[in-house]
Amino acid sequence: MKWLRHLLLLIAVTSLAAVVAGPATGATAESPLQTPPNDECYECHGAPEAKTKTVDVGGEPRSLYVDRAVFEASRHGKLACTSCHLGFKAGPHDAAQTEGWAATARIDACRNCHADVFTMYRGSFHGTLGFLDPGSKTPVCADCHVAHNIVPPESVEFRRQIDGMCARCHQDAQRTYLDSYHGKAATLGSLTTAVCTDCHGGHRILAPSHPESSVNEAHLIETCGDCHPGANENFIQFLVHVNPRSPRSSFLVWTFYAAYILLITVVFTFGFVHSGLYIYRGFKDGLYGRKHHG
Amino acid sequence: MASTDGSTMAEPRADAVAPAPAETAGREKKQPRTRIEYRRFNLFHRWMHFLVFVSFTVLVFTGMPLKYEDTQWAQWFMDLFGGVTAAGIYHRLAAIVTVFYWSAEMVVMVVTVLRTRGHMRDRITLMFNAKDVQDIVGMFAWFFGRGPKPQFDRYTYWEKFDYLSLVAGTVIIGVTGFMMWFPIQTTHLLPGYWLNVAFVIHSNEALLAMGVIFIFVHFFSAHLKPESFPLDKVIFTGSLPVEHYKAERPLEYARRVREGTLDEVLVEKTITWKTYAADALWWLITLIAGVSAVMMTAFIIWSVFD
Repeated sequence: MKWLRHLLLLIAVTSLAAVVAGPATGATAESPLQTPPNDECYECHGAPEAKTKTVDVGGEPRSLYVDRAVFEASRHGKLACTSCHLGFKAGPHDAAQTEGWAATARIDACRNCHADVFTMYRGSFHGTLGFLDPGSKTPVCADCHVAHNIVPPESVEFRRQIDGMCARCHQDAQRTYLDSYHGKAATLGSLTTAVCTDCHGGHRILAPSHPESSVNEAHLIETCGDCHPGANENFIQFLVHVNPRSPRSSFLVWTFYAAYILLITVVFTFGFVHSGLYIYRGFKDGLYGRKHHG
Repeated sequence: MASTDGSTMAEPRADAVAPAPAETAGREKKQPRTRIEYRRFNLFHRWMHFLVFVSFTVLVFTGMPLKYEDTQWAQWFMDLFGGVTAAGIYHRLAAIVTVFYWSAEMVVMVVTVLRTRGHMRDRITLMFNAKDVQDIVGMFAWFFGRGPKPQFDRYTYWEKFDYLSLVAGTVIIGVTGFMMWFPIQTTHLLPGYWLNVAFVIHSNEALLAMGVIFIFVHFFSAHLKPESFPLDKVIFTGSLPVEHYKAERPLEYARRVREGTLDEVLVEKTITWKTYAADALWWLITLIAGVSAVMMTAFIIWSVFD
């Protein structure tokens, strides 16, 4: 009965292991994606020493450290590391795997769950820019949503970051946006004012010239009408991105801007000189503090 | 516009304090002190100024942070008002007050002009006239010590400028403000890019108005010029010691003496603790508004040159 003794021993050892490991892996035990338990990853990637270690990703050094508390508070906090870091095993990872990771990470990690979003992205302006090309600056998922600190896109925190994300490439658009009523209100904390994605869309951004774009002339009444019900043909002639300081941006707007700058300069200069001289004469003649003046 | 006394109002002044008529009755201790004053502004003027004062201040402090939105102080003011949405509501409420006072002023002005047609001429007019040109030249001559200070009538040229720029500026800033408040209705009439124009006008007209009121004309005329320093509170109290007014606006005074209409504007002011309390209140209000305005101006200058 040697095989029976072996079997019993095996059962005993496995149960013991399960009891010992049970509480520690409890959090991920119910997840459908539980290999390997995240604890093993944090042994290295959560260790304080990892904070100073970097790995080369597409020419840029990236920290190996993952803040567990931040990750677990994020939208993906209950997922196993390997649900995105596909195929990674505990222990030092082999070079071939880590080198190929950057390419996989850009799209595959997200697409496995968010296939619908990927389809939209693939058809968008950004999706046609060659996001898989080495060294490409095209934004992919993590460029906006980041990786370990994914926050719900409908959250205030995310909304407040949007114009800054777009401005990594579209600085001019951000500048004119921030100069506009929408942008000013957003800067001062309004959550109802339009941000980039409210007009341009998120995953399916198309160039304004594209007939299906939300900011194509054919769709502007609808797009503006989301916030401004009753918007008509006239309404959509509003210049959302205009620089009043440049005659090339809009000659009409610039004309008024320039006229006012001139007027303000003239009035303020005259006022400054007049007040200054009046005060000077007042001191000179000892008028300050006198009871009556003539 | 001639009170140089300010807080020293409490000191008795022989020239301005007239003995009360019934003083001889042996009741000196109970007899209130009185003073003959020149009534420069009536209740309507004072209420108008108060409404302008309050609404203008609210408009500036809720609006300017939006013009300089990327500054620290803009955020600070927004937090003070309870956020940009709340500030927007206060801004619109103050705009309604502005519409009210402007309309009231227009009605009174039209009625006054119609009733006194042919009698007003240009002696108390708020419109510019030939004398203003002479006065400007005369003032600059005086500044450089090449002539006496010009004698003024009821309103000086800078007061006319102050008033007219407010009346006209209110139309400009009001129309553009309402255009942006009601963009859908506006674009029933105009193409949308006029909203961009409205935005530029509103924003810069506001800066212009703020500069005129806070720095160069109004604050200067009420606080900084030698005749007013440190505070001319006649717009709040309505009247001022006759001698002050005579010195400040000799032409109007002389005309009233000549025409025998001086009595119409002389009032007997009873000096009680309420007089001093009111003075203290005007000091407090103008001090708060003044300090805030100077602060706002400094912030803006700093932002522009930063």
